[in-house]
Amino acid sequence: MQIYLPIAELSVNIFLLLGLGAGVGFLSGMFGVGGGFLMTPLLIFIGVPPAVAVSTEANQIVASSASGALAHWRRRTLDPKMGLLLLAGGSAGSIFGVQLFTFLRGLGQIDLIISLCYVGFLGTIGGLMMYESARTIMRSRQPEARREGGMGTRKKRGWIDTLPFKMRFPRSGLYISVIPPIAIGFFVGTLAAIMGVGGGFVMVPAMIYILRMPTNVVVGTSLFQILFVTALTTFLQATQNQTVDIVLAMLLTVGGVIGAQFGARAGRHVKAEELRALLAAMVLAVCLKLGWDLVVTPADMFEVLPVGMEGE
Amino acid sequence: MLLAAMLALALQQPITSEAPSIMGALTQETVEIREDFAGTELVLYGATRGLTIQDEIVVVLRGPEQDLRVMRKTRSFGIWINGSAREFQAVPRYYAIASSRPLEEIANEAALVRNRIGLDHLLTRPGETPVAEMLEYRKAVERAGAREALYASAPRGVEVLDGGLFRATLALPPSTPVGNYTAEVYLFRDGRPVASRSTSLRVEKAGLERFIYEFAHGLPMVYGLFCVVLAMLAGWAGAAIFARR
Repeated sequence: MQIYLPIAELSVNIFLLLGLGAGVGFLSGMFGVGGGFLMTPLLIFIGVPPAVAVSTEANQIVASSASGALAHWRRRTLDPKMGLLLLAGGSAGSIFGVQLFTFLRGLGQIDLIISLCYVGFLGTIGGLMMYESARTIMRSRQPEARREGGMGTRKKRGWIDTLPFKMRFPRSGLYISVIPPIAIGFFVGTLAAIMGVGGGFVMVPAMIYILRMPTNVVVGTSLFQILFVTALTTFLQATQNQTVDIVLAMLLTVGGVIGAQFGARAGRHVKAEELRALLAAMVLAVCLKLGWDLVVTPADMFEVLPVGMEGE
Repeated sequence: MLLAAMLALALQQPITSEAPSIMGALTQETVEIREDFAGTELVLYGATRGLTIQDEIVVVLRGPEQDLRVMRKTRSFGIWINGSAREFQAVPRYYAIASSRPLEEIANEAALVRNRIGLDHLLTRPGETPVAEMLEYRKAVERAGAREALYASAPRGVEVLDGGLFRATLALPPSTPVGNYTAEVYLFRDGRPVASRSTSLRVEKAGLERFIYEFAHGLPMVYGLFCVVLAMLAGWAGAAIFARR
């Protein structure tokens, strides 16, 4: 059954969209990630204009992070103070990202920048995750080996502690400068606007390794920040570029909500480090595919773009 | 036998001397894009007066215009980047042409250029002689349109019926842009158009599609807020439904 998307101006099979939502939702439920990094390239691949794909995916992430953030809020595994700081940076980043997006679209380079961002970030994060989980799996197979170091021990604090404007974060048990959280928030907010992702895959490692937050509040706080930054991004894209397709977002959400529930159940039967290795493999696969498309000789050596496509 | 031939000739004579004329009408004046729109077909019916055996008919359906920028991909540091650009002004987003015989057999180049029939003549500004490089960019525009079936040509798409009537079927693909369209019919004789007529068509969104589109463009702030609130509700509802089980 075909459905015509009013903003994407595209006729797509409704079951394809529900299936995409469910499939990506299943994976995100299983791995505990947003899935934006998979969905946005998939949408572009089926012919949704990149601008619409990015904005609409931000809208879908609002839905998928809302339930998670709510659950963490109830369980008090969320640092609201840190969340608000990240959000302050994230809001500025999102506003900046939407402007940058509009500017790059005017130059005709938006597809390239989106692809390059994806290849760079997915490659880095996927590679690190793969390395980390491979090491963990190897170690667990030889229990005799002495486990040393790791992130459990708090070593001598580095440059982060030399920064001014320190603040106390009781829920995280931290006393650090407000600059790193705001900077991280800003960076992730910009990514969210340009790449159509929540940015959890950047924020979670940054919170653990740079801010050294306790792991039990990391996921909740990251979801809190993602929820509000994607909400703002959706609003800004809708206001400035009119590129949010609510029909597309809702279809993906319906599929995604159902898929995520089954994914979460399936995830319980797999070991955490193996799950992480699988996720890393998936991230690297998307990275390789996009990287390949950048390098391989295009089918058409010309690209035709509308001029002044505001409102198109 | 001879008499019959004479009679036929006599009958034919007044018809050919009559000023040739042509008219056309589309089966629909508006095409509505609704939720289930997946492309459609339009039939153009037409009638001619003074049609002779050497005459040919050309039908053109032209969509709303937009400016295009075409960029040539160049390789740098191993990846393909959009490089040097050329701009084309007022390019129709939809262009379909059908004729009773292949266009190059019907008309000479000069007549097509003068009347701006055929997409390549629309992409060249009048009086301009395209250089080879520009030609490549022009071809790229044509390819891009053809990929989405927005540009189409049917060299024998006009079916000439008895009594000077004719018919052409034009396909509107799923990606048909909304806006005002013009359908033109031409009667060609000796390589030149001797009569023409145009009629208009409107493609518009209707029903829910129209409502959402106008909402998004007319009240973008309210629409943005609505999208956010709806998404939050959906997320919350999804969690609530599955938590109860």
